[in-house]
Amino acid sequence: MTTTDVPTIAQFFEAWELFQYPAASGAVAGALLGWLGVYVVLGRMVFLSAALSQAAGLGVALAFWLQIVWGMTGSPLASPWVGATVMTVIATLLLMADRSPGGTRREAILGFAYLAGAAGTLAVGTRIAAEIHDIESLLLGSAVAVLPDDFRLLATVAAIILAIHAWGARGLVQAAFSPDAARVRGLPVAALRIVLLGSIALAISVCTRVIGALPVFALSVLPAAAATRLAPSVRWSLWLATAIGAFAGFAGYVVAFLYSLPVGASQTLVAAAITAVVFAAGIPSVLIARSRRARRAA
Amino acid sequence: MKTAREEEGVLLRANGLEVGYRGRALLPPMTFEIRAGDLWGLIGPNGSGKTTLLRTLLGLHPRVGGDMDVGAGVRLAYVPQRGDQDTAIPGRVLDVVLEGVDRGWSFLDPTATLRQRAQVQHALDIVGAGTLAHQRFRELSEGQKQRVLVAGALVSQPHLLVLDEPTSAMDHAGEHAVFDLLGILRASRRLAVLIVSHHTSLLLNHVSHLAFTDRECGASVAGRLEEVSANPCFQSYFRGLGFLHPDVTVAPPGGVG
Repeated sequence: MTTTDVPTIAQFFEAWELFQYPAASGAVAGALLGWLGVYVVLGRMVFLSAALSQAAGLGVALAFWLQIVWGMTGSPLASPWVGATVMTVIATLLLMADRSPGGTRREAILGFAYLAGAAGTLAVGTRIAAEIHDIESLLLGSAVAVLPDDFRLLATVAAIILAIHAWGARGLVQAAFSPDAARVRGLPVAALRIVLLGSIALAISVCTRVIGALPVFALSVLPAAAATRLAPSVRWSLWLATAIGAFAGFAGYVVAFLYSLPVGASQTLVAAAITAVVFAAGIPSVLIARSRRARRAA
Repeated sequence: MKTAREEEGVLLRANGLEVGYRGRALLPPMTFEIRAGDLWGLIGPNGSGKTTLLRTLLGLHPRVGGDMDVGAGVRLAYVPQRGDQDTAIPGRVLDVVLEGVDRGWSFLDPTATLRQRAQVQHALDIVGAGTLAHQRFRELSEGQKQRVLVAGALVSQPHLLVLDEPTSAMDHAGEHAVFDLLGILRASRRLAVLIVSHHTSLLLNHVSHLAFTDRECGASVAGRLEEVSANPCFQSYFRGLGFLHPDVTVAPPGGVG
């Protein structure tokens, strides 16, 4: 391949009218998932976003199946949005119903939701061969499938969730990471946890439908992993993860255009590259701190 | 304005309180009052129901029977075990203490933490950690971490401070420093303190009141130190720890009462 075969960034922006909705969707979804990902990563619930995005994927596949097999085309009940939301809510309710001591059953429930979602999506996919491209787009992320209405819905949901989270951040952070002390001081921890889990479920269901399961998983884990490594506090981590997520979502789309890659994979790789750089850059300071501790101990 | 309960000095009252799980009491009923300025210790063997009692008193676990009443307007603050603090969570000392500012729905007020910066610094100064404000919490020594957590509890100006194993990861000097600090706070602010600790000998030299639980012996007693130390189960437990007689070590060096 010669260099003239590779499109340029200038060409990308020349065709902005064509790419504006999917590229902006990547940025908005990245920002939203970056913020929420801080709770996912620090709460050691990394598998949560994978499980919920697979459940959302199954919901979308079931919606297509209802449309094709049951002739429900055009029915709002068989809309992919409704399918994704219903399945995500079911998975979330399963998680919230866990009363095991220390949440010991949570991992098993997450595993169940992930596996049932992934296998169910593939199984339903064989019954709706005509829609198999949509299913693949859903799992890997789609280059051009984002419609203006999809983007508007995503942007509205992101604006509402981020506004609520920015306003109630102090309470949400305490409910997530020091719930007992917060309860003793009278904070409404149960309500805050419902808001937290509910907003994660809603964000994942909407983002999965728009950008696909793989980038949703990646953008809800990797930007937060990098941000919590860099930032001095949880609040700074939230803002930094939002910025990294928005950048990875957008830049991933541009890289996909330049190198003819699947968009979801490209967004994932950009986020992974940022995280790898941040972790690699932190290695010297970890070594210095270790040697200081060793000297102090000696 | 002070409430009638505050005037009376009673912050928390347990009357025939039974703690346990699924309707089954773990321990015999307990009756006691925690008053302003009291320094309570909660001790007992492992698995004796200490944690269940503590969580019930804090309102984190439902009681099985009896009554428990925290006075209207009485503010509680809780410092969990250090092991419950996740060091992977990034935070400066300032951030850790600022968390303690919020009560109820005050977290919805975006200006609250800005207005209370001075209060945060004051709390850090009280515990002797004023110079640590901008350091990362995870990089502090165990003793410094405990001081910062106490500052985080103090910043909400509680009437009753509850600490779970505050000295578990400390050396001897660190332990003494924490108990000395709590003694000063108790004397200067009439702060009531309830401490759960396995370090019985040190605890008994500082507390004015004691709650002792032992499921196997069927004991749950609470009251002034000399009253509890007369309990046969307590004496048996105490001897098991290698002490000759409770009264020998219990006698505090003054300031208790």
